[in-house]
Amino acid sequence: MNWLDKWLDRSVEKTTRGLAQRTSRRGFLGKFAGAVIGGAATVPLLPVARSQEAATPAPLEEGDANSCDYWRYCAIDGFLCGCCGGSMNSCPPGTEMSPITWIGTCENPVDGQNYIISYNDCCGKASCGNCLCQRNEGDRPVYNPRVANDLNWCLGTTSAAYHCSTAIVIGAALDD
Amino acid sequence: MILRLVVLSLMFAAVHATADDERAHVNYMLHCQGCHLPQAEGFAGRVPPMKDFVGFFLHSAEGRDFLIRVPGVAHSALDDFEITELMNWLLQSFSAAQLPATFTPFTVDEVAGLRRDPESAPEAARNEILSKIAADLPTLAVALAHEE
Repeated sequence: MNWLDKWLDRSVEKTTRGLAQRTSRRGFLGKFAGAVIGGAATVPLLPVARSQEAATPAPLEEGDANSCDYWRYCAIDGFLCGCCGGSMNSCPPGTEMSPITWIGTCENPVDGQNYIISYNDCCGKASCGNCLCQRNEGDRPVYNPRVANDLNWCLGTTSAAYHCSTAIVIGAALDD
Repeated sequence: MILRLVVLSLMFAAVHATADDERAHVNYMLHCQGCHLPQAEGFAGRVPPMKDFVGFFLHSAEGRDFLIRVPGVAHSALDDFEITELMNWLLQSFSAAQLPATFTPFTVDEVAGLRRDPESAPEAARNEILSKIAADLPTLAVALAHEE
């Protein structure tokens, strides 16, 4: 067995030393990364659609989604669409969701993680009037329009009439 | 020992000064996406499109400066480093094909200087800059004709 160990030692050493002299680690990494990325680009690793929507995290949630104290509504100022024939993710029939929107973050009490929430307004009908919710956490004056929720955000719709607001999770925020 | 500490703290600083795609994307979502939309597609007549377009600006020095002097960038709540990181990520993510071969990423010093001189008439400046670039760049001329 001893001669076998010695032979194995010597041949492995010879091979690795030869390899180290002929090649570079950087070259290997480059080729390896190329194979991984190239492979991923040509052959899908999983048979799923990898759109941005698919990558959006689905947090575990607790509470009444039609109640103003629900976690996603921390920065909302308007009528909850869930009380108006829609839901926190969708507009009621007969209204149109504004693609242009205001975006903030809220902490989910279930996992303690901050999520990015998009408060897209539903437009095209008069104010819903149900479940008025004004929490306004993080709201800033209108001279800072990107983070002001007193503005009418029915900006990308055929009608500027405000009906209600959704609260859609679009990503996880980073911990600072 | 002191030298080791110095080296370690330098390494730590280097990590924090390194551009991070995920942080750039989160900052894009929080500070830009509300109007420019998730794929930077913009909204015809209201919000300029950046998808497959914004890289054209890098074909002139004025265009490069404009991208930082435009009010949405210059007045952003993000700091100079975060803007630099976001803009370099945005150009590569949404409009790499329109960048000139000679493109070099924005630097923090460059961004810091430019954003303190915001463009007061962005629409007129945009049109002037783009028509100058389009005179020598047929692909932009086609894109502009399509936009109208």
